[in-house]
Amino acid sequence: MSRRPLWVVDLGLIPYAEALQLQHTLVAAKKNVPDMPDVLLLQEHPPVITIGRNGNEENIVAPREVLERLGFQIFRVERGGDVTYHGPGQVVGYPILDLRRVPKPKDVGWFVWALQEALIRLLDEYGIRGERIHKVVGVWVRDHTGPALDASFDERTRASLAAAHARFSDRKIAAIGARIEEWISYHGFALNVNTNLHHFDFIVPCGLRDRGVTSMARELGHEVPLEEVKRRVAYHVGQVFDRKPVWRSRTALEYLCGAPAMRGR
Amino acid sequence: MNVPADLFYTEEHEWVRLEGEVAVVGITDYAQHELGDVVYVELPQVGDHVTQSEPFGVVESVKAASDLFAPVSGEVIEINAALEDAPELVNNDPYGQGWMIKVRPSNWEAERANLLDAEAYRRLIEQE
Repeated sequence: MSRRPLWVVDLGLIPYAEALQLQHTLVAAKKNVPDMPDVLLLQEHPPVITIGRNGNEENIVAPREVLERLGFQIFRVERGGDVTYHGPGQVVGYPILDLRRVPKPKDVGWFVWALQEALIRLLDEYGIRGERIHKVVGVWVRDHTGPALDASFDERTRASLAAAHARFSDRKIAAIGARIEEWISYHGFALNVNTNLHHFDFIVPCGLRDRGVTSMARELGHEVPLEEVKRRVAYHVGQVFDRKPVWRSRTALEYLCGAPAMRGR
Repeated sequence: MNVPADLFYTEEHEWVRLEGEVAVVGITDYAQHELGDVVYVELPQVGDHVTQSEPFGVVESVKAASDLFAPVSGEVIEINAALEDAPELVNNDPYGQGWMIKVRPSNWEAERANLLDAEAYRRLIEQE
């Protein structure tokens, strides 16, 4: 049986609000037209801070005036999760999927697991070991080689030092925050490829004070072409959700869901 | 996975228990397990009308925010206010203190046919 298509649309650098509106249009269209194809929106956003529906504003640590002066926008949105940052150099993906028709239907836990799996497989292609950490959603990188120790340390001490080292080396390479309405998913993931990591200093990412952030460029020591990462992300998302990625233009997408932008023309 | 025999279930992983004229509604042990730690539950207001198979609220966990689907139609006569400060009750005691709303069913006899009994629900989650 041939796989159902996954329309992949590269929106380039797009303001957060514009992409959010497009998601809402797509979700509404998918609720009405069950046979509409699943969609993966891929994009970069200009610097923006978003807070999940139940997120804590205190996790934006920089004063609002400073953020405004730097051109950062701030949005509270309906996804799960706390505070996150999006900006250039980050591949943001919004999978708008009918979760009644995925390999494990109607299962929020599996959906998030599958998103993590796609990103972990992508990172593996670049020689980066992405991991899941229990109770803190996202994809993480951690060091497994502990500090060099001389022979005076016994096995047990070595093991606990290595565990502590791994624990304190946790750094988030991809954030995940999803919303599911009538089993249609939206919002999604943000993978740091060449992201300016200093911008994360303005927030407490995901409300986690004791963990850091990283990017593919930081881990590899060189930048990675975003277009290439987008292609591989689309491939792996298709794999885990059993869909065949087909690349489409934004115009084709707007035509598909009868977006207002097209009706006027 | 705990599936009490005396409840009715939906394919969306909600349960309903009839207590006299009142239907008590919550999410199943399987659902809370798949969602992970629940951090927020958005419920309707007393007096609102909910409709079978339609969303009546939102449950947010560390993984995602997703819809709650009503297993029965009727008027909401009570909501579990304790969840506002202690959403973890949904994880710790999904069939007890983690209940979500109480509904006065408007069409129970007909709607019951659309629900799963414990055995059918257990089969559903075992195949998943």
